[in-house]
This record gives sequence, C-alpha cells and structure tokens, in this order.
Amino acid sequence: MNENFHRPYNLIAELTYRCPLKCPYCSNPLDLTNYTETLTTEDWCSAFEQAAKLGVVHLGLTGGEPSTRSDLEVLVKHASELQLYTHLVTAGMPIDAKRLAVLAKYGLCSVQLSVQDSTPEMSDTIAGTKSFDRKRVFAEEVRALDLPLVLNVVLHRQNLENLPEIISMASYYGAHRLELANTQYHGWALKNRAALLPTLDQLKNASRVVQDSRLLYPEMEILFVLPDYYSERPKPCMGGWAQNTMVITPNGRVLPCHNAGTLTELEFWRIPENSLEDCWTISPGMNTFRGYEWMKDPCRSCEYRERDFGGCRCQAFALTGDMNATDPACSLSPHHPEIEKARDESIQSAPSFVYRDSAKKTGGQI
Amino acid sequence: MKNLENSLKSLLEERYHHKHPFNIRMHKGTLTKEEMKTWVRNRYYYQTRIPKKDSSILTKSDDPDFRRDWVRRVRDHDGDEKNTGGLELWLRLGDGVGLNRAEVSSLTNVLPGVRRACDAYVEFVNGHSLLESVAASLTELSAGPLMGQRITAFENYYTWIEPSALDYFRSRTSQAPRDAQEGLEFVLGNAKTDKDHVACVAALTRKCEILWELLDGVEWAQSRPKIVDRARMRKNESMIVLPERAIELNSTGMEILESCNGEATVNKIAEVMRNRHNTIETVFTDTYEFLEKMKSAGALEYI
Repeated sequence: MNENFHRPYNLIAELTYRCPLKCPYCSNPLDLTNYTETLTTEDWCSAFEQAAKLGVVHLGLTGGEPSTRSDLEVLVKHASELQLYTHLVTAGMPIDAKRLAVLAKYGLCSVQLSVQDSTPEMSDTIAGTKSFDRKRVFAEEVRALDLPLVLNVVLHRQNLENLPEIISMASYYGAHRLELANTQYHGWALKNRAALLPTLDQLKNASRVVQDSRLLYPEMEILFVLPDYYSERPKPCMGGWAQNTMVITPNGRVLPCHNAGTLTELEFWRIPENSLEDCWTISPGMNTFRGYEWMKDPCRSCEYRERDFGGCRCQAFALTGDMNATDPACSLSPHHPEIEKARDESIQSAPSFVYRDSAKKTGGQI
Repeated sequence: MKNLENSLKSLLEERYHHKHPFNIRMHKGTLTKEEMKTWVRNRYYYQTRIPKKDSSILTKSDDPDFRRDWVRRVRDHDGDEKNTGGLELWLRLGDGVGLNRAEVSSLTNVLPGVRRACDAYVEFVNGHSLLESVAASLTELSAGPLMGQRITAFENYYTWIEPSALDYFRSRTSQAPRDAQEGLEFVLGNAKTDKDHVACVAALTRKCEILWELLDGVEWAQSRPKIVDRARMRKNESMIVLPERAIELNSTGMEILESCNGEATVNKIAEVMRNRHNTIETVFTDTYEFLEKMKSAGALEYI
C-alpha cells in the first residue's frame, strides 16, 4: 500500500433502509426505491473480512433498522471472529430479548439505542409510531446482558425543552454515554427544517443544562456540540473526506459518509463487483475531496481549513448546488445568508412535521 | 457588619476542609503510612504557593501600613535570620515521615489534582481585587482550631513520626489566629456595599472549594484504576478499543494500562513505572497525566 493510504478505522455497514420508525429528521436518501438490498450475507461477510485487512477496528451495524435483517446473527458472529469491535445501532425493535441474547453470545460489543424524547407521548409522536415503551424495555435487556449502552437522541426545537428529563432518562437506563445529536439537515430532514431548527435561546439553555448535567452525572459521557447552523465555523465533517471512515449502503455502494450518495456527479464504486480496497483507495468519488487541493476560496487560503476541511460537502451541494463550494454554515461562505435566514425564521412558530414512511414506494414523500 | 462576619463564619463551618473525608480520617488516626506520606509530599506544593499568593496580595495594596503587616506572612513561610520559615518546617515534617527531601522540594511529583487546586488559588488572587484576595485567606479563621486537633491526633495515633517533626503545626497554632484576625478586620472594614459582601462570600467559598479539591487530589493517589469492561485490547497493535473511539498507545502507555487491574493504586502504579524507567525524570507526572487522560477518554474507571 502506498504512502497516501488512509487507514479506514471505521466501517459503517448500512444493512438496510427498512425502518419501523418514521422520524421527520431521517437522513437516509430520499429516493429509497433505488436502494434495494442487493448485498447477500456472503457479500457482507466478505466485506467485513476485507475491511479487517484494511485496518478497520470499529464496525457499526446500522440502517435503517438492522434488526429487520434475518441474518444479523451470522453477521455479528463473523465480525467478532475477525476481532472487529461490533456495535449495533438500533431502534430497539423489531429485535427482541432472545435475539439480543444470541447477538451478545456471538460477540456483539456494544449497543446504541435511539430514543426520540423523554415521554411516551412525545417520543412516539416524533417517531411517528408507538415505540417508546419498547425502547425502555430494550434498554433493560441490553444492560441485563452487561452490554454497554449508548443512548442517542436527535435534538430539535420540539424536544429541546425536555433536555433535563432526557439526560436523567439516559442515566436511569444505565447508558455510559449519551449522544445528543443535533439534527443534520440532509435527506428528509431538510424538508422539515422549519419544524426542526431550534432557536438560539433554546440552544443557550441546552448548553447550560448539559454543563450542569456533566457535574450531576459524572460517570456518563455526554456529547453535545452547538449545531453548525449556529456556530460561525462549519463542522469538521467525518474528520475530513475519506480519511478514516467508510460507509457501505444496502446496495453495496462504498461511500466516505452516510450522505455522499446525494452528490450525483460523483462516481463511487460498489461491492461485490469491486474489491473493498479499490472502492476505498482508487474510486474517483472517494478521491475527489481528499486533502486540500480541491478547495476554492475562501477555504483554500483559510487558516481553519485543516480544522474543518471546508465543512460538509453534502450540505454545500444541497444548499448551493455546487459540491465544491464552502459549506454555507461557515460565516465566510458567500451563501451564509441562507443559513442566517433559516435562523431568523426559527423565531416564528414552527409548521408541523412531514412524516416519513419507508414502507411506501415514494419513501414517504407526500 | 456583623452580618458579613456571621456569613463568613457559617460558610467556614459548612464548607471548610475540616469536613473532608481525608481530614476526618487523619484526625481519627486511620491514615496509612503511605497516605500520610502522599499528603505531606503533596501539601508541600500548597505551602510553596502561599508566599507567592501573599506577594501578589502585596502588589495590590497602596497602603504602606497594610503592606508592612502583610509582608510578615511571606517571612513566616520563607524564614529570616531569626526564625525558621514554614517551608523549612514542612520539609522537616517530610523528613519525619520518611520522605526524600530533594524529591519533595523539587515539586516534580505533585499529583495533578493537587497542582490544579493550588495553582487555582494563586490565579484567583492574581485575577481578583485586594478585598476578595484577603477574604479568600480567611480560611485561616478555622486553621487554628484544626491545627490543635491535628497535633493531638499526631501525638496519639501517628507515633511513628518524631514529635519534633510537628513544629510546623505548632507554629501555625499561634500564627493562623493572628493572621486571621487581621484579615477579618480588613475585610469587615473595607467591605462597604452589598456587592462587596457578596464578593467576599464568593471568594471565601472558592477558597474552601480549592482546599477541598486539594484533598480530593490527594485521595486520587489511593484510587485503583481499572480498564472498563467495554474496552477491548488489541495488543499486537498497542491499541485500546472503546465503543466510541480507538486509542493507539506507545509501549509505555500499554505498560501503564496493563497495570490498571483494579487492585494497584495510582501511587503503586507510578512507583512501578519509576522503578522501570528511573532515567526519566518526569515519570511520575507522565504516569499521572496518562491515567487522567485515559479516564477522560472513558477507558478507565476508578475503584
């Protein structure tokens, strides 16, 4: 391998886009019809073997809802034989206690559970389906097996007020880590931006709540950062394009991030037609934004370029139509007024959610 | 003004470090030799910060009378032709508990929590007014009685320590009440507005926190780090893998982590590392810093 080789430490295996939830902030692709699950159990197993050889350490089994796949047990067993640190990212359904116990026996290392809010009413409203009670029981099942539990809650204007309750719920569930993830306005979430984007006051208050909670729950790691719409610099997306993480979609496309498929001009390769190594190292799409050569001003001459890598390519494309542009979340971007406008509009009352239903052919589009 | 005096005194009753579990154990006679040595070695760092803090206070005053009185505190610690200073007396306490004097006075092996707490005190004084700085020194009001209690405890329970080693505590039984009285008079005479009162209470609160944190820092040396169950080691790559991150380590890092078995204390682990790497001068601090870093990365818990 040449000196330009970037070791992939993480593989995010999107096993399926099927999901029992209908969250209005879903960041999966809008055109779900193009994503039939073409990868077989053998394809995934082979991908894990190749990934381990390339240096991958962490394997995230995600989706959609990974437990909608009946071969999850086989995949976990194979991954743990390869010494991969295997992490299940789930909504806690349809998986049941029996299946979870089998996964634990086969070497599953940790579980991330998504919860939408702190009460059944609100959480079920956001998820668009009855799920809160099942998730609470699932958290107990995870801890009963002594599996580490990470709780993930996507934050937005409809649940930020409940942050203290969300944090105490995470501690009660026995999570060693709580990820308070700001909604990213990709895919379905962009449609619902006005209903989701928090106000500055909400965020300031949330910061204080998190600060206090870190003192009150010293054993729980609480992840919270100011969303990019409200910080002057863009987020350092993925720690740089195709630096350490690869994503495989249900139809075998190998991407540098979850949303890179939205960059329609780019050519990414697929497994099993190509080797995982070729998909990672030489596919044209994967190399488009590696390093700093691609940058235009203001990024090219910016002192922050090695810190934020010009921000998120997918957001730049979604908001400006130019994937080479500086991320508009950056105050130096000529497109930044678009972000400021969304912020200003957030002070007004929010419209209601447009729900997503992955069972519908249109991907839930209304 | 009586109100402010009451507020300050009841604050001390509530939050002075006489209530800290470590001091309670010290005065009940249940500290081990190792704990006593750790405390003496680390508390010396606090002693060395005091004359710096007092010198900083001197620079804040325009009043020659105030400075003439206050400078005595610097001499009390540093000593002069007539009197042996508090720093030297503390080093004698170090000799008495069997510490290496050169190691103590080099300040290289100070525990990180202790260092942070003591530095925070000097920084507090540097960044605050004369009135607030003097108010912060009023923990002295409680120091006199504490010293009396301490001498009794040492004489009764820690008989392995030479009585002559306790001269520091004896010197403070008279110095502390005198200093405290002067400080209190200054604060009561100069805190004129409600805002001043609030600021004085806040300053003394912060100081109580600092003394408390200092002892937390000492206790940390006796805690037993253990690699969390959720971690997986990849020994051939010198890597520890957690649900949210993988950390690549050098060979010394691996050595330290392998000692984190939930049985060895921070103190013991640092000692083992020094025995193995005695050419590295900063081996203690390097070990401490590494253990703290691994804790905040979620790789260690303390038992």
